[in-house]
Order: sequence, then structure tokens, then C-alpha cells
Amino acid sequence: MIVECRIDDLLSLIGKKLTLKQLEDTLFLVKAEVEKVDGNIIEIEVNPDRQDMLSAEGIARAVRSFLCIETGLKKYPVKKSGRQVIVKPGLSKIRPFICCSILRGVPSDDELIKEYMHLQDALTSTHGRNRNKASIGLYVYNDLNFPVFYGLQKPEKIRFVPLGHEVEMDGPTIMTEHEKGIEFGSIIQRHKRWPLLFDSNNQVLSLPPIINSNSLGRITTETKNIFVEVTGTHLPTVHQALNIITASLAERGGKIESVTVVYPNGTIDETPNFNPEVMKIPINDINSLIGLNMTEKQIVQALERMGYGAKLTQTDQVQVMIPKFRMDILHPVDIIEDVAIGYGFDRLEPRMPQTMTTGKLNHVTRIKNKVRDLMVGMGYQEIMNYIMSSPELLNDKMLRKRPLVTTGNPKSRNYSVLRNSLLPVVLEFASQNQHTDYPQKIYEVGDVAIPDDTQETCVDQVTSVCGLVTDVKVNITNLMTEIGFLLRNLGLDERFTFESEDSSDFIEGRSACIKIDGEVCGSFGEISPMILSNFGIGYPVIAFELIMHRITEWFT
Amino acid sequence: MSDKLTEGEREVLRELLNLSQRVQTSQLASNLKQGEERVISILNSLASRNLVKIHAREIVSYSLTDEGIEYADIGLPEIRLFNAVKSLGGKASFDDAVGKAGLDAETKGIAMNWARKNEWLQISKEEGTTVLQCLVELDQWDVSDLLEDLSTGKGTLSEKYAESLKQALERKLVYEIVTKKFEAEIVQAEIREIEQLIEVGVKGIGNLTPELLASDAWRNVSFRPYNVDIKPAYGNYGKKHPYAEFNDWLREIMVGLGFTEWYGPYVETEFWAHDTLFVPQDHVAREVQDQFRISDPYDHGHILDKKYYREVKAVHENGGNTGSKGWDWPYSKEVATRLCLRPHTTPVSMRYLYEHRESPQKMFIIDRNFRSETLSATHAQEFDQCEGIIMDKGLALRDLLGYLTSICKGVGIEKLKFKPGQFPFTEPSVETFGKHKEIGWIELGGSGIFRPEVTQPLGIRDPVLAWGIGAGRLYMASMGINDIRDLFSRDLNWLRRSYFVR
Repeated sequence: MIVECRIDDLLSLIGKKLTLKQLEDTLFLVKAEVEKVDGNIIEIEVNPDRQDMLSAEGIARAVRSFLCIETGLKKYPVKKSGRQVIVKPGLSKIRPFICCSILRGVPSDDELIKEYMHLQDALTSTHGRNRNKASIGLYVYNDLNFPVFYGLQKPEKIRFVPLGHEVEMDGPTIMTEHEKGIEFGSIIQRHKRWPLLFDSNNQVLSLPPIINSNSLGRITTETKNIFVEVTGTHLPTVHQALNIITASLAERGGKIESVTVVYPNGTIDETPNFNPEVMKIPINDINSLIGLNMTEKQIVQALERMGYGAKLTQTDQVQVMIPKFRMDILHPVDIIEDVAIGYGFDRLEPRMPQTMTTGKLNHVTRIKNKVRDLMVGMGYQEIMNYIMSSPELLNDKMLRKRPLVTTGNPKSRNYSVLRNSLLPVVLEFASQNQHTDYPQKIYEVGDVAIPDDTQETCVDQVTSVCGLVTDVKVNITNLMTEIGFLLRNLGLDERFTFESEDSSDFIEGRSACIKIDGEVCGSFGEISPMILSNFGIGYPVIAFELIMHRITEWFT
Repeated sequence: MSDKLTEGEREVLRELLNLSQRVQTSQLASNLKQGEERVISILNSLASRNLVKIHAREIVSYSLTDEGIEYADIGLPEIRLFNAVKSLGGKASFDDAVGKAGLDAETKGIAMNWARKNEWLQISKEEGTTVLQCLVELDQWDVSDLLEDLSTGKGTLSEKYAESLKQALERKLVYEIVTKKFEAEIVQAEIREIEQLIEVGVKGIGNLTPELLASDAWRNVSFRPYNVDIKPAYGNYGKKHPYAEFNDWLREIMVGLGFTEWYGPYVETEFWAHDTLFVPQDHVAREVQDQFRISDPYDHGHILDKKYYREVKAVHENGGNTGSKGWDWPYSKEVATRLCLRPHTTPVSMRYLYEHRESPQKMFIIDRNFRSETLSATHAQEFDQCEGIIMDKGLALRDLLGYLTSICKGVGIEKLKFKPGQFPFTEPSVETFGKHKEIGWIELGGSGIFRPEVTQPLGIRDPVLAWGIGAGRLYMASMGINDIRDLFSRDLNWLRRSYFVR
């Protein structure tokens, strides 16, 4: 994720003069990377696990504690506002959860408002899974009449002016005409009634997760007090999103007040809740995973540098207080990584382990290499092609109708299926090189994919070799000698036979199948002029293809 | 150089005198029933003695690139955009026109750029939306005709295409093929000298025969000299692909470090591709814009090991017994069995661990992966990854850095930087940057220690270090290749001249 910041703003949030180089080096060590600097604008790439760093405030908070300007668990005081949000029945299968907060005295200018919107977008697209799991709305607090209601409404009865518009629309119109309705409508459209947020005067706040109302949901430079609301389908995600955006606004100077959410079954949730989660980790687990011998004090320091609260307990464990805006901590290993980052990746010395194993190539690779050596010995140039190809090439041009492993979302028709044979691909290569010196002898060794329902992945993937010769005049006897040379050097002299067989690939009477132990493993012949003309090839061609999977099995 | 002429040189001179005019080397070669390359090398030697003159003529022809072939087939993006606007009544919003023309994110930029440059479309803002309006009647467009001509096999082009050819070359829709033709003639001023040289002849024997050897007669004869101090002609013999040789070399390094090579299928169930790696089932990497899904003839595969499936499911839903919170989200068998083209080689590591659960283990694979990308100079829908795992008791993050250092040294990169990274299946995670001697700092790949959520469902308690390096990227750096499409070059000339040496 790219976060765009103003350098002067970022440095003032950090509260320390840093050169660009110092800033870049520090960010590198806390998992972020400077992508581009243009005047006062800096683009910073943040790893997707650090949703709390998707804003200038979040990045500054991480840098401040990493540079020991302000370490340890950041405290966000929360005052009870006494305001209520009442959840109406019926939402449990649609979008059951809501969390809210109020921020008083938030500074806002045009730049800041733009940044708040960016953070909101970034959070809902990644953390909120494109608004499916969570979506965020910001409102002008002073214009609302509490309690606010979160309920359901029939689409045609929903009427309000959506953000950025001047005309009132009803629900179905928003879905077909409003850009956000078109983009996100599918999240709620299948339901008979849609979630709606409205206040005690029946003014609509928003149609979550689609769009805010223009009158209440438009933050301007005049707005001082903001009401934040997150709705969604996964309660932890909804809480985390609220915590991240609330903390960011608080970093800008807003004073946090909590809101009481009342669910239909009487459950009460006072949000936001910044009480840290606690995890206990044995000192020994930390040192053994990183490979260090850190003292308890060093571990506590490293954790505080990463914004955790940390203290020792008597049982060789460290007790860690996890900030509520960190959503990536699932397991103690996630904290141990932060100990390593807090210690400093630049200070970690690589250590060469003593693990003793003997290495070897896979037997398929060895057989492939053997075949490649033999082909080279017979004067063939190796070529390599993509595994993906097109049905036109593999089937139409070849006059074949063989099943193909097909992708459902190709970017182009030319690369939409997996090759099921090498011969068409090698012919295509030859067709592209008709201006090149003759004779041409080329080969490829590689895998092909054939649909097969009996396999775990419904595909039989086998290794194949294809050799092709083209010149003004070609000689099939030479080709047969070469295939014989190949098979004999694979130890198959007694086991292979050629049996004449007509196929649409080749000129009638000039082709045969290759059998090993009586089983068909390939074919060879002179390519039929019909196929040559399909490929636009102007010279005669002889070729063979041999599926190697049986061969490789014989050598294991 | 000897004053005497070789038999070959005299033959060529004699023929040139016979013909007494400037002649194509191919003609000369066929008259003499010799290979053209040999005749040219003889002529070169004669030219260096100022007995003949060689004239080189370059013949230029053109061929379509992959992008060019695509456009010849479906039409240039700007034409498609223009036609879309036209069919929408000569004026339409940008989004409508793009939709109608069926352009994707990349081609719509190209289309706008050229439609504007060519002054076909007027672009304006109306009520916040971008609106396009046709400025011209466009029946015919030279660049399209040019692509059409080339796609039907015309290598040489008429004069009227001069401008559009320039554009097509710039846009890399078309590339140039230069073939050299040679002509030779006698240097007239030297004609007497030449005649004398031919007359004088060279004494001695051409071929040493078994009879000469058997009879001992070779003791009393002299051998005619051959011209051996020339640069030999180019020969087209069998050899391997330089990229394949590069990968062979990587394999050798990995085996040398004690790694065992493994393999796995291109088509995977999402169970192996993602679930076993603790990638949440709603992760963006699984979306259709990121990875290829298989739709036909089968779109879902099978779960073979029900017990392992249940372990993985539990880890996703609530962490199972790994001490993790899990994803706290319903786990779907439909998603687990969905078929995709593997987007990384890591499922192969999982398949290896599935069969090898006792320490110590070291495994590697170098093979193809797939991502839903449109082929361009910087992105390809296929790429090779070199990936490995190390499992042993007591391994730690510092050991991972140690392995990365020795692997990178193996491929010639001495200076490294480590950055904390993030992958769903490793924790801690590391990104490695290496200083390449030609192109500076490059990102080499990702690595980390497999999460307990990944290893414990297999009953593995020892740490598993995992790393991956972009093999193609490393090869491009070492060969000075800038265009990713050249990894799988379809130019036989290039392949015949290219080599990989270490």
C-alpha cells in the first residue's frame, strides 16, 4: 500500500529534524520503504500487515517510538460522551456490527481532510476487504441528533442526497447511478432491506457501506467535531478499523469521546476501547526464534521501541501490552518479529547454521538433462516457451480437438490455456524465424498439462520433448535415426517400436507413433502442408514429440 | 601471410575472373558448390590482400512483436477507443467508451495517449466526468494497415508507411530484421597479378590419404598450405538455451549447499496454494485480478487427506491448537478446492514438508509460476522462482540471514541488506536486497520462518526457514536484459548467438 505524505507535515508529526536519508533509513528498518520523493510529497510503501501505518500520523507514531522520542504503549484518553447508537433488529444476517467514536476539536484544512479520506479509503479497501468486512463513515457531529439509529429500510423508501451530489436519490437509483453504488452495491443489493443509519430527526447519515449523505456526511474546514462510525460483518475488524482511524484523528489533536452501542438483545458495547490486549511470552521463545541472547531488559526496550507496553513477570516471561490499533498480532511469533525489528535488523548478524544434509537433483530433472544433452549432441538448438498458450494455436491451427486446461480470467486470449502438447508451440516458434539461416534444428523439453479428473488437481502434468527440423529439403530417415539414438541412449533399445499411423498432424504415409513396451508415448512424421499453411510456414518440416512420463517412471 | 594462394582461394578467383563482373556471394557459392559462409571467409582473406573487393548491402525487413500481433488481431487500442466513441454517437464519457471498447487498465492509457496525440478525440471535463468527442472521420489508419500487412507476411513495406513505421517501432509493435547480403568483384588493377598467382599454383598434396600413410609415401611429398589465419565463419550447432543453462547453474549451487530438488504441479487447489500457508480465504492474492483461476474442463479439485484438511480448517477458523487466534472467519471447502495456477512455488514446499516431517531437511525448487498480468516489458504472466526451505532443531532468524548470505554469494552477490517484510505464511519475514555489480541494489526476494499455523497442522514443531529468489530477475541482471519478454525470446538468431558463461 502506498501512503502519500507531505514531508514537512510528517516531520512535524515526528517532532524531530531528520534528513531525507535518515528518514528513509529509519522507515526501511520499520518495514516501510520510500518509493518516490517529489518536492514536498513523499510516497511511502507500507506492508499490508501494518494497517495502523496507512496514514502520516500512523507512520510518524511508529518512527517516533523507533527513534526513542516517545516509546512504549501510547495512551489515548477516552471520555464517555453518554451518546447512544441503537441497533435495530434484523441486521444479524446482513451487516450486524457497528462501532463509533466522537472526536472533538479536530483540526481540519483542505490537505488534512484529503488525508482523512485517504486513510478511510485505504482501510476499507484492505483491512475492510473492499467494504465487505468493514466500512467507515465520518460525520459532522454538531448536526446530529442523538440517539442515532442503525436499522433496515426498504430500498425504495431510502431517500437522501448522496455525498458529492445535489439531488435526492432513492436506494435503487443510488445503486444504478451513483459511482459508489455501482462499485459496492453488490455487498447489500441481494437483501430485501438495506442497512441505514439515521438520527432522531430521521435525517439519513449514510447507506452503509455505500455512501454518506451530503448534508451530514461531508466534512469541511468548518467541521471541528467529528462523529466516526464503522459498520461491518466481523466484529474484531470493525473495532480495529475504528481504533486505527480514531487514534489517527487523536494524533492530530482530537479529544476522544466514547459512544454506547446498544444491540437488540440488550448487549452494550462502549466504543472505542483502547484497553490493550495482554500476551505473555517466554523470554526463551524470543531468543531462540531470533537467535540472540537478549537480556530481559533489552527485550523490554525493543518492545517499547515498537510501541508495545512491556514488563517482566517472575516466571521468565515478558508481559506484553498490545496497542489496540495493531490488528496483525495473532500469535506470539508476531510479537517476536517486532522484538527483532526493535533490536534492529541492521544489527542482526547472519549466522551460518550447521544443518548437515546431502543435496541432489530431482530424478525428473536428471532425465530431462540427459535428453537435453542428447538433443544438443544431435545438433538441436534448445528453445524455451511459455506454458500458457491459446486454443487457436494448440487446437485450431493444428486441426486438433484435444481438451485444454483453461483459465477463467485470462488477460489475453494468447495466454488463456495451458499447453497440452509441445509440437504446436515449437511449430509457432519456427513460423517466427523463417528469415533465419537454414537448416534449423530446434527442440524443447518441458511440461504439458492434460485435464484428468482422477488427479488431485484434475490435471495430469507430464514432461515432453519435441524436436523439429526445417530446411529446403527434409529427410525423415535421418529423423528416425535420431529418435532411435535418443531412445537407445535412454536404455530403451529393446523396448521401443515405431508403428506407421496416420494423424492429421502429418502427411499421410509419412508418420508413425512411438511405442514403448507397446504403449503409445509419442509420434513423428512430416508435418502436413495444411498445418504448415495454418502456421504460415514456407518450408517443409519434420518433427517428433515424446511424452516422457513413462520413461521417467522406469528410472525411479 | 604466405604469398601463395590456397586451392580454395584460387578456385574463387578463377570463378570471379570467369564471370568478370560483380556477383552475389550466394551466386558464387552455388556456382562453386560450396557453402556461402566458406566462400565469404575466402573472399575476406582475398580482400585483405586487395585482390577482390567486397560490397555489403543491408536488407531491412520488419516483423511484428507479441504486442503487435495482438493489435493486428483485435485492433489498436486508440482505434478501438475511437470507434467506441463513434458508435456511441460521436460523444461519450471516458468510462463508457473504455467499457464499450473493452480496454483494460493498461491499454486504456495507451489508447487515450494516442487518440490525443493524433488529434482524433477531444477530451474535456463536463460536470466532473471526462468526456470524449470525435474530431475527425477516420476510415483508415496507416499504423493499422501496416500491422495488417505485416501480419499477413509482407516483410518489406511500401514507402507510404514511412511515418507509421516510425511510430510502430517506437511503440515496440514492430521490430527490424537486418540481413546482410554480400557482393564481390575482382580488383581490376590487380588483374595481372591475380592471373599470375593462379598460374603459379601451389605445389603439394591436398588430402592426406590412408594410402599415403600405408605406403609411407607421405615422407617424400609436401603438403599444400591452407589458409588458417582467418576468423572462422559462424556455425549453428546444437546448444542449450542460455536461460536454461542459468537455471542449471542455480541448481548446481543449491545441490552444492546440500539442498534436495523437489517438484509440484502448476495447477493447484487453493488448499495447497494458500490455505496450508495460512493465507486467509478472503485475501486479495486470491482475487481474479491477481491469480489465474481454472474454469474448464474442471474448476474444482479434490481433498485427499481429510485429517490434514480438518487441521488446516481449524487453524483458519480459530487457530486450532497452535496458540494462534486464527482468522475468526468461516472456512469454505468450496474455496479450498477451487483450482488456480500456482502464483508461487511455496505450495511445493508444503507438499515436500507433508512428506518429510522429520528434521533435518533442506529442499529447493526452480520452476514456473503464474500471475494474472498482461505481458509487457516489465510484467509477464509467467516467471520462475528459486525457492527453498531448511528445517532443523534450533534454527533462528539469524540462521536464515546466514543461508541467504551464502546463497547470494553463490550467485555472485556479495553485498546484502535485510529489511523486515511481510508474508502471510512467515513470521518473522525478511526482504533481501542485493547489490548487483552492474545495476545496483535490486530486490532479490522474500523469506522468513514459517508460522506455527503453517507447520503445526503437519505436526512439525521445529523451525522451518523459507526463502525465494526471482530466478528470472537475477538472469536478466546478469545478461543485461531489460525486457522481460526476452527471457523467452522467440528470435532464433539471438539464441544462436547468445550464451551464458560462469
